[in-house]
Amino acid sequence: MMNTYILILLILFGGAFAAYFLNKLAPILSGLTAFAATTIATILFYTQVKIGSQVQLTIGGINLEWGINAYSWLFSFIVLGLGTLASLYSIQYMQNKERQGYFYLNFLLSIGAMMGILLSHDFVSFFIFWEIMTWSSFLIVIYNGKDVKKIGIKYMIFSAIGAYAMLMSIVMIFAETKSFLISDFINLISTTGFSNHILMITLLLIGFGVKAAVMPLHVWAVGAYSNSPMSYTSVFSGALSKMGIYGFGIVMLAAMTYVSPTISENAGSGYSIISIEVIKIIFQWLGAITAIMGTLYALKQTDAKKLLAYSSIAQLGYIITGIAVGTKLAVMSALFLAVLHGIFKGTLFMAVGAIERQTGTTDMTKISGLIRKMPWTFIASLMSIIALAGIPPLAGFVPKWLLYEGLITSGHYFLVILLFFSSTAAFLYCYRFLFGLFLGQEEEETKNVKEAPASMVIPMMFLAGLTLVFGTYPGLLFKPIANAMEFVGMHDVTWNMTVLSNVWGDTVSLNLVSIAIFVIFISAALFLFKGMRGTRYVTTKDISTSGEIPTENENLTYQLDFFKPFERAVAPLYKRTMDKIYNAIGESLEAVFDFTRSIYTGNGQTYAIYVIVFVVILLIFKDSIF
Amino acid sequence: MVISPVHYIAVPLLAAFTIPLFAKIHKELTRIIPGIVLIYLTYVSYVLMSKVMTTGPIVEIIAGWKAPWGINLVYNGFSGFIASLMSIMGLLIWIYSYKFKKVDDEPALKFYILFLMMVAGSIGITITGDVFNMFVFLEIVGITSYSLTAFYRGRDGAEAAFKYLLIGSFASVFLLLGILLLYTHVGTLNMAQIAERMHTIPTSVKLSIFVMFAVALGIEAEMFPLNGWAPDAYSQAPGPVGAAFSGIVVKAGVYALIRIIFTLFDIEGSLQFLIVMGLITMIIAEVSAIRQTNLKRMLAYSSIGQMGVVLIGFGIGTTEAIFAAIFLMFNHAIIKGLLFLSGSFLVYNDDKKQIASLSRFGKKLPVVSFLFALGAFAIVGFPPFAGFWSKLYLLLAAADKNLIFLIAIILMVSVVEVIYYLRVVGKLYFGKEESKIEPKKPAFNSLIVMLILGAIIILVGVYPDVITGFIHNAADTLSDKATYISNVLPSL
Amino acid sequence: MFGDYQNVVTMSVYGSSIALILIGLYGVLIKKHLMKIVIGLSVVDSGVNLMFVAVGYIKGGTAPIFSPSVIDSKPLMVDPVPQALVLTAIVIGFAVTAVALSLVIRLFKHHNTARIDQIKSLKW
Repeated sequence: MMNTYILILLILFGGAFAAYFLNKLAPILSGLTAFAATTIATILFYTQVKIGSQVQLTIGGINLEWGINAYSWLFSFIVLGLGTLASLYSIQYMQNKERQGYFYLNFLLSIGAMMGILLSHDFVSFFIFWEIMTWSSFLIVIYNGKDVKKIGIKYMIFSAIGAYAMLMSIVMIFAETKSFLISDFINLISTTGFSNHILMITLLLIGFGVKAAVMPLHVWAVGAYSNSPMSYTSVFSGALSKMGIYGFGIVMLAAMTYVSPTISENAGSGYSIISIEVIKIIFQWLGAITAIMGTLYALKQTDAKKLLAYSSIAQLGYIITGIAVGTKLAVMSALFLAVLHGIFKGTLFMAVGAIERQTGTTDMTKISGLIRKMPWTFIASLMSIIALAGIPPLAGFVPKWLLYEGLITSGHYFLVILLFFSSTAAFLYCYRFLFGLFLGQEEEETKNVKEAPASMVIPMMFLAGLTLVFGTYPGLLFKPIANAMEFVGMHDVTWNMTVLSNVWGDTVSLNLVSIAIFVIFISAALFLFKGMRGTRYVTTKDISTSGEIPTENENLTYQLDFFKPFERAVAPLYKRTMDKIYNAIGESLEAVFDFTRSIYTGNGQTYAIYVIVFVVILLIFKDSIF
Repeated sequence: MVISPVHYIAVPLLAAFTIPLFAKIHKELTRIIPGIVLIYLTYVSYVLMSKVMTTGPIVEIIAGWKAPWGINLVYNGFSGFIASLMSIMGLLIWIYSYKFKKVDDEPALKFYILFLMMVAGSIGITITGDVFNMFVFLEIVGITSYSLTAFYRGRDGAEAAFKYLLIGSFASVFLLLGILLLYTHVGTLNMAQIAERMHTIPTSVKLSIFVMFAVALGIEAEMFPLNGWAPDAYSQAPGPVGAAFSGIVVKAGVYALIRIIFTLFDIEGSLQFLIVMGLITMIIAEVSAIRQTNLKRMLAYSSIGQMGVVLIGFGIGTTEAIFAAIFLMFNHAIIKGLLFLSGSFLVYNDDKKQIASLSRFGKKLPVVSFLFALGAFAIVGFPPFAGFWSKLYLLLAAADKNLIFLIAIILMVSVVEVIYYLRVVGKLYFGKEESKIEPKKPAFNSLIVMLILGAIIILVGVYPDVITGFIHNAADTLSDKATYISNVLPSL
Repeated sequence: MFGDYQNVVTMSVYGSSIALILIGLYGVLIKKHLMKIVIGLSVVDSGVNLMFVAVGYIKGGTAPIFSPSVIDSKPLMVDPVPQALVLTAIVIGFAVTAVALSLVIRLFKHHNTARIDQIKSLKW
């Protein structure tokens, strides 16, 4: 009897190759294969797998261990759920596009690899799957052939740096513990203290930080997110980036909570300069800065894809901050947001993909007023945006509440201010997204636009519905999160199915909030629809602007630049970008490389002189060299 | 007939010199005979390797003169593994180049004669137990390599070959001087006996001898700054010869260097020397590779860089590190072989061999492009391909000796490697506009070879245990010097 | 030291072999003409070969030919091994020189020059 884990991976990886070859028969078959593979894997996983079961393998003299625990179980929701829905969405989205076999091959490979990461109990299989995930996503990022050098190679450079930092850490851990098991690493940390292994931990965190797009390592993300086909970006931003969070969580949470107090004291007393506190503070701030910068850049975008991409970076920043703060509430909010971000950002990227497919562009200056043409897409986007902005009754409110409370109770007042600023500014881009795409006057070009096909709308609506469900019954998510936190050593996490409460005794009953808002919403809708009979459609010209008739090219929708003053206020922050710094580094390195290779002059005699000089040097200094 | 290691050298040399006669009988025999020879060598490898794995090393005495007096061949876990690798690579390259120069039989004749001698010489370097014999084989390899580098008249082959010859002559001069000095002090040419008597030489003289040997063999192993010839030779030689250089010839050079360091000399600092030279070689080669516009030159620099990593592996010196280094040699042979073989089809019709000319070849040459991409992924060490494991084992061995700085540099250079290989892959599939150059479609036999290499890469990547047994044996053999001596000189 | 005829011969052989090697190296490393470089290589080879012969020489030794009469008297013989080696080395050197010369011809035809510093179409 084959182990379920192996079976699931075989289905996903085998499906990948099946999809590739079936494309030769008919492109639609590869899409269906992908959907079938993800669905079967999901069903198998949730019916057959029990938390805690394990399987051991030995490859190349290295013992591998696969299994699932409460913590990876939580992340499996995002990977499998989003993977299945995105593959369903993908069937129609990818229709008529070339090289579908190639796309689905890498799509399934990356989903399989993500499952592999979650299943890995040892660093070697973790790293193997991590790399498969990286290169398969790289191959999708360059799928449409645009800016391969700028976007694809940049993504790969950062991924490679991250992955190799991780690999270095892994071999160092092995040299120390003689074991690849992640649990042995955690034991090592907990018995010898965090600060004695600062290098390996930093390297691991760099590896995860790249995928989680933490501040100085984020520059690949926007291009990669916006350049991939949207059906993959929803997985990319929703699930793949969470693998960074997953690993980050393992290191930070497990290490933080398992370290016994005597050792941390010991480490603090001049034993080492950098203690866990320093790492925590660094990542809290990096997370907060990522959040703010992501938000500020999102504001500037006119392309909906890029807006969402920056928004993803910002949201990941919140998650990083939450985990780095490390109190129960903060971690809970971070994990909640991790799952939730997968849901709503997945939806939003799908919505943008639907718009792209139907209109051919995602530029917010070119399209507007799609609300009538694509109502379902609009509703899904609206709900996701509300969730993103953190307005009740949708689920985004819950982690926000928890995060602020967590930060305030642990005394991180300045972080609260930063994050509050960032999430307030986020309203601006949320609004711009909705307004720019769906509201405003209809453009000539979008006259004949139709709603996306059902197989694309259903996944979006399903995910959007989830935000409502989790907003009303957050306990559904609290339960696995509490289990996951229990697993990483944070015991006695309290939660309630529908009520949020804080230490000051305030409580919010989300049921009541939902019902209230629902009632208001329905009545408002009824009112509006009733009033709609009286609405009158007007042309662009039917407007009086101080008695002047506007010309054709005067933009009357103020979807652009409506927060110019704000932009002006924060303008200095845009000036120095990490991108420019990296480019400068890259250029100077290239110059150095060019200089280096001029050693090979092309003159055979020079090479001969090298040989003789080398011999003479060796002979003269032989006693000190050897 | 009893199969013995002598067949490795005698059969191909005999065939090489009699091919012209057979060619008089039937032209096709020119092509078939080398194949038969190489198939036979692979069979010999199979028989001998299974013997070695079960009953231990084979020491072959030539012409009845016993060990210290006559020339002997030592076929143990390490030399046997490398010799088998060479014969299999030789066979694959023969299949690949079967239709080579089909229209013109006279060049084909020369090609096969030289190729067979090159394989025989390389295997000879590997299995010989006598330093002067090693010199002779090195010269056989040298002369054939110079000629094969200059094989194409049209290109700059002659220039590359002349540089190769110039530096190669230095190698032979220094090797001769080294042998001379060694002989005056120990009075023997037998490697085992030299190893045994090494402690009698005064340190200063020993170091001078070591410098001579290290430089001579360092030239063949493409060690910086002795490798000026290498990128030119690789890029100008015909495709299959490039693959043979990286899969066979350079392996012989590295093998010889490692053999003299591990078996002959017992110099403390020689391992650190290997690490440092390997590091410099790797860094300079990879850094030069990233700025190349010529595909074959890029592959050549990459090859040099990989040899640097191999030297680092041996330099670390623990059994695990030696294991990793031998694994890396194996991987490099198959992966770089695949890259050279597929790459030479990709740039076949472009005289300048420019990477830019590959734009969107993924469509025109789907299988070849795919195999090239596979090779590229494998050589930078992405799992689940073969290159990953050797890299992992190497880093583990380095970490075990706490060489953190070394690991960091190797990985930084790996980032460079990732960049330039993936740039080519990106170009193959997503170049800006379709290249105007019409690609040459690969012949069936060539395709088969590339597919076999690709399959081996994936097989070893997914399940490395198929090969690790042999490599472990090889690593154990190399690090056990005493057994080597007692095998060759049982009386002592 | 110079009083001894044998010693003078030995030293002068060593000296001239080193001189040959150095002269050859000068030719290879400094001269730009391909032919001179090839000649330099041959001269270096000769120097090394000469040194081999010198090493094998033993004062007062005879030719190392074994015959029944010689074995009984156990005379002092020069070491035969270096002489065998030198023969091989000479043959190899000859082959290398032949290849080198043919390459020089090719290079001259291709580049229309025989100066090594002008033949660098392959570089970096």
